Amino acid sequence: MEKYLNTPIKEVITRFTEVGTILEQFNIGCVPCSVGSCLLKDVVNIHNLPDAQKIDLMYLIEKNIYPDRKIKKPKIKPCAKKIDNKEIKYSPPIKRLVDEHILIKKLLALIPYIMEILDVKTKSGRELIVNIVDFIRSYADKFHHAKEEDILFKYVDNNLDIINTMLEDHKAGRFHVKSIVDALTKGDKNAIIKHLMEYKKLLTQHIKKEDEILYPWIDRGLLITQVGEIFSKFNEAEKNIGEKAAKKYKKFIEDLENYTNKCVVKGRRLLRRTTTKGGRLK
Amino acid sequence: MSASNCGCPGAKMQDFREKESEVKDEIGKRASQLRQWPIQLHLVSPQAPYFQKADVLISADCVGYALGDFHKDYLKGKTIAIACPKLDEGQESYVEKIKSLIEDAQVNTITIMTMEVPCCAGLVAIAQESLALSKRKIPVKSIVVGIKGDILSEDWVS
Repeated sequence: MEKYLNTPIKEVITRFTEVGTILEQFNIGCVPCSVGSCLLKDVVNIHNLPDAQKIDLMYLIEKNIYPDRKIKKPKIKPCAKKIDNKEIKYSPPIKRLVDEHILIKKLLALIPYIMEILDVKTKSGRELIVNIVDFIRSYADKFHHAKEEDILFKYVDNNLDIINTMLEDHKAGRFHVKSIVDALTKGDKNAIIKHLMEYKKLLTQHIKKEDEILYPWIDRGLLITQVGEIFSKFNEAEKNIGEKAAKKYKKFIEDLENYTNKCVVKGRRLLRRTTTKGGRLK
Repeated sequence: MSASNCGCPGAKMQDFREKESEVKDEIGKRASQLRQWPIQLHLVSPQAPYFQKADVLISADCVGYALGDFHKDYLKGKTIAIACPKLDEGQESYVEKIKSLIEDAQVNTITIMTMEVPCCAGLVAIAQESLALSKRKIPVKSIVVGIKGDILSEDWVS
């Protein structure tokens, strides 16, 4: 078992698919993870499961990997049902990062609607993409990810797989944004849509991993004095970026929500009228 | 355990002497973790060097008596001020003093430790008022201690 405890989770799941299902029963979402380089032992430890659940989880995994081996069942009630999510209490600096995710998630939620109204042939259509790219680069990356990379992650071992996974996600996000900009220059609507969708998928998973696993894990290891330090460093970082940035991008998302809503409603009304008149789409 | 019928939970008589049998690890002397004097909130000065950029513990008077490992687990590494939100006079000055700790002494964090009795919550309210009046924001944590010395809750209040 020692061998598999030190094996990246993706390899374990690929070889023993049922392990992914077992992890999901314990609310550990490694199956959709794009990297999956965390070692099985770290995956189990990082999720802060109560001891009884941890023993239960390890028993089920070991039993799945070695079905013929006689493994002593632990004397605890097995967790047959899905485990309910506990309310996560974040420290103030981590809470700030979680709150920033809310604004980023609002953009992600708008992406399908943006794709509906996307028009690279008009000036306003191109401006819309330019502004979205500016939000991602300036708010999601410079304002938010920079605080993680330059400040928060310095308080944990940077060689840990979970940190590398997050950094890889950041890199992948930057690649998609660059690809959107390149596609816009070429007027390639399909490529813009493709990379917007990829970005949405990547960031949705990334934010979930951070909110539910990484941040609570980092929080559990922080001393109160470190919480104060990080809080103060975040303030300093925001001052350097420009304190108005947060307000500016909050307003941008509000405006974008109103704009897409108007356009989509108008577009669908037009579509309904066309189908009603003609009986079918033209 | 016996209890009188006194109305105020903060002053209600309770007897938990049977707890003596639960005492563990009482061998050896423990060093005090107190790093300063004075400690009463009226008497402390935000200008004192030990308050500058410190992690401050503002504790209700009773907490130090109720919590067995107060020095080891909560006072260690912190600068302290104590107060009683039920009995102390001149509590208006507490708001200004905590505000001065935040703004002038530029303290790193504040931890408020109170007892579970309702009157103790006033100390958290005082700290929150100070923070609201202060231009500088810092993390503030509230820890509530049960009358039998157990930790009932730990929450960030700002």
